[in-house]
Amino acid sequence: MSAIKGGRISSNLIENFEEIHKGLTRSEAIEEANRCLYCYDAPCIKACPTSIQIPKFIKKIASGNLKGSAKTILEANPVGASCARVCPTEELCEGACVLNQDTKPISIGHLQRYATDWAIKQKEPLFKAGERNGKTVAIIGSGPAGLSAARELSLLGYEVTIFEAQEEAGGLNHYGIVSFRLPKEVVQWEVEQVKQLGVEIKTNTTVGVDIKAEEIIDHFDRIILAIGMGKVPNLGIEGETLKGVCDAIEFVKQTKIKDPTDELVGKTVAVIGAGNTAIDAATTAVRLGAANVKILYRRTKNEMSAYQFEYDFAKQDGVEFRWLTAPLKIIGNEQYEVTGLECVKMALDEAGRPVPIKGSETTIDLDVVIKAIGQTKHSELIEAFSLNHTKGVVDVDAETYQTSQENIYACGDCVFGNGQTEAMVVSAAEQGKEVAKAIHRTFMLQSEIA
Amino acid sequence: MSEYETYMEEKNKIDGYFDKGYQVISIFENLSGTFVDFVTGEGASEREVVQLQLLTAEARKYIATKLLFVS
Amino acid sequence: MADLRINLAGIKSPNPFWLASAPPTNSGYQVQRAFEAGWGGAVWKTLGDPIINTTSRFAAATFNGKKVAGFNNIELITDRPLEVNLKEIYETKKRFPNHAIIASLMVEPQQEKWHEIVKRVEDVGVDGLELNFGCPHGMAERGMGAASGQVPELVEKQTYWVKEVAKTPVIVKLTPNITDITVTAEAAVQGGADAVSMINTINSLMGVDLDSWNTIPNVAGKGAHGGYCGPAVKPIALNMVGECARNPLINIPISGIGGISNWQDAAEFILMGATGVQVCTAAMHHGFSIVEDMIDGLNNYLDAKGIASVMDLVGKSVSKYSNWGDLDLNYKIVARINNDVCINCNKCHISCEDTSHQCIDMLVDANGKSYLKVREEDCVGCNLCSIVCPVDGAIDMVEIKQALPSMSWNERQSRIASFMT
Repeated sequence: MSAIKGGRISSNLIENFEEIHKGLTRSEAIEEANRCLYCYDAPCIKACPTSIQIPKFIKKIASGNLKGSAKTILEANPVGASCARVCPTEELCEGACVLNQDTKPISIGHLQRYATDWAIKQKEPLFKAGERNGKTVAIIGSGPAGLSAARELSLLGYEVTIFEAQEEAGGLNHYGIVSFRLPKEVVQWEVEQVKQLGVEIKTNTTVGVDIKAEEIIDHFDRIILAIGMGKVPNLGIEGETLKGVCDAIEFVKQTKIKDPTDELVGKTVAVIGAGNTAIDAATTAVRLGAANVKILYRRTKNEMSAYQFEYDFAKQDGVEFRWLTAPLKIIGNEQYEVTGLECVKMALDEAGRPVPIKGSETTIDLDVVIKAIGQTKHSELIEAFSLNHTKGVVDVDAETYQTSQENIYACGDCVFGNGQTEAMVVSAAEQGKEVAKAIHRTFMLQSEIA
Repeated sequence: MSEYETYMEEKNKIDGYFDKGYQVISIFENLSGTFVDFVTGEGASEREVVQLQLLTAEARKYIATKLLFVS
Repeated sequence: MADLRINLAGIKSPNPFWLASAPPTNSGYQVQRAFEAGWGGAVWKTLGDPIINTTSRFAAATFNGKKVAGFNNIELITDRPLEVNLKEIYETKKRFPNHAIIASLMVEPQQEKWHEIVKRVEDVGVDGLELNFGCPHGMAERGMGAASGQVPELVEKQTYWVKEVAKTPVIVKLTPNITDITVTAEAAVQGGADAVSMINTINSLMGVDLDSWNTIPNVAGKGAHGGYCGPAVKPIALNMVGECARNPLINIPISGIGGISNWQDAAEFILMGATGVQVCTAAMHHGFSIVEDMIDGLNNYLDAKGIASVMDLVGKSVSKYSNWGDLDLNYKIVARINNDVCINCNKCHISCEDTSHQCIDMLVDANGKSYLKVREEDCVGCNLCSIVCPVDGAIDMVEIKQALPSMSWNERQSRIASFMT
């Protein structure tokens, strides 16, 4: 569902970044909650990576027990308020709903948002820190994986310190997901909930710069790397340093830390890549007033990694998709500004790999090229902790997420790749919980704590 | 005429009689409503008895409220 | 965290939520599953001479597409021998010493029969007894169940016999198929009952099949009346609990039964005088896990109200439950429509125009926009428009402060009595 009212974006750019979906009204929530069958051994629970007790929280909306509903969600998923807005529900809980076969699946995401919105409005914290057990844990990174681990560890009585390089906590939830999908206020509330448990979050603190890895190793009983991934890599083509070429993640981040400018009004934009980040960049460009936005992808829609609903959303925004198209060269003028992009058509070979079709080169006139071809890894930081990794993806035990160093664990996007896990907010949240459990088990086995 | 207007008429008549010093000497209620007999107060030049038939529920309430809390 | 423990006439329970005597409490396996799920107590399916059941025992009312608005059963008491039930009660009580097990009993109205079953049942360690004077089908034909429950003398006499030998608290379960339940409740008090529970089920027939002309339910094409329960009966049960609670002669605790589906229903019964509640239909619809939100929701409600113990909630609305003749005739409310919220379905207009006092007008403003307005002087404040209105907050019932003092019907009649010739 696109925010663009009546097919027009607002010339008041700030309006375009307001949250799209207004949230269910009380009547809508009660009606939908009562439609839920309250299945036994419900498939939606199994489909949720954090195993939220979905029928239970929905029944509590129906019975008017909003506090119980919010608690049910958040005890399974510490970033349940964010997930309510960004989870690919058609592929997870809603896709598994038994009513898909009969009427329509329950709008689980919207109901989850209804309950967590209630929790955000009321002031009382829902969880209390456990009695301190004297052990300390350092977490590098305050994204969903780090926050989840911190929340769970606090409930178990650990003293937790999070080191966050950016100015605000929250990770990509705060800086990377477009405002009209996930407002900062929601993320900051989730951060606050973790802080009020006694977790210390040291922002503006980059490990390796402001504090050495060795210091952390020396001062904490356990360490969790929840560092995510890095910047978008270079395309490796001519013209990448021209003015008007940018990194999709940086591009979105700017709209989250300050008001939009009119730089892009009337411009023509191309986004290279077809993942969810590419969609975010493209729809952001539309909302900044760009006259024409294209997504270029070297393979086809079938190989596209963006969620179907994100693709639909971009189409509704008028984004054009050019499949089997790869960039060759970015063309600029004397002022060193981007004026065009030379592309080549691709074809997929028998192995499904894209190969350029000779002689199919064309040039597109445009003003801005946004790279959304994935993210680099924080290999240096990983090596600063002396951890084994495979091409920048930290090697971890499949169940405990323990790294090659006994007291160090890793979770979230930094263990994503090489066929392992999914880079979803909800998977990161679940991994954070698993790590906390695994760490706790090591102490229980040693009988160092009660 | 709306029921409200009928009530206002009946109420005004009741208030009118009370204001002029009339007193209620008898009330009876039957299928046709409430019948209230007013008599001129002491000191009036002539003794007059008038009967009001109250049709509206509001007026039938009002006469009792007046008697309970005014007289 | 509020304290949800109750003490009902000496029967202690960790929370007010019991399962009623019915199919869910037929066997030890089931009652143990219920206790594992969190139910505070269970009233065992009525013990007596084992009966024989038919098939096609249950039927339900679907209302506007929503299932189980009401539920009907033609099932009888236990069909298992007493020894089997007693063994399972004993084992269940051993595994769950802190949960309340109450045995429901039904025998013919003879003193020796009551004495025998009470002694045998109390021997296995139940926490209390519930006397079934309410089964409306299958047993009444033999002089038991509702046939006893509709005759105050029989209620009193049988209660008295039981109390002659019982060592645990005795709850008398009353039938709603009666003119005035307070009469039989008083009879139970006279007989020495320690508590009363109500309601049992209401005589009912679910429906008729328009193709076959069979009744619903039917057994091989023949039907018989059954007992109605479930959400539809809640207002009937709630009233009966309230009438008994405000009756000074019924000065014993009440266990409330009848369409309780969630914590809100339970809280309402408790406010109207029930010390504890019993549930059946909701458990049959959704399974035993529904008790989790009942406990959680009641807890959160008490916390929000600043009430430390659920026992402090019992009966708090009873003093507000009065007689029609004592209601203030001069209390005036009127309906007010909020046009910014109104969706112009016009249902308030037509329900008022056709069936109430014709005081809601469909109007058009200066800009040509339709809107609805109540003529307040003609509005009698009946609530109908606010009831049919589908949108939260579109219609408010607003008090209009009267210059007139309050006056009830009874006060009115006694005042004008002196004027009546």
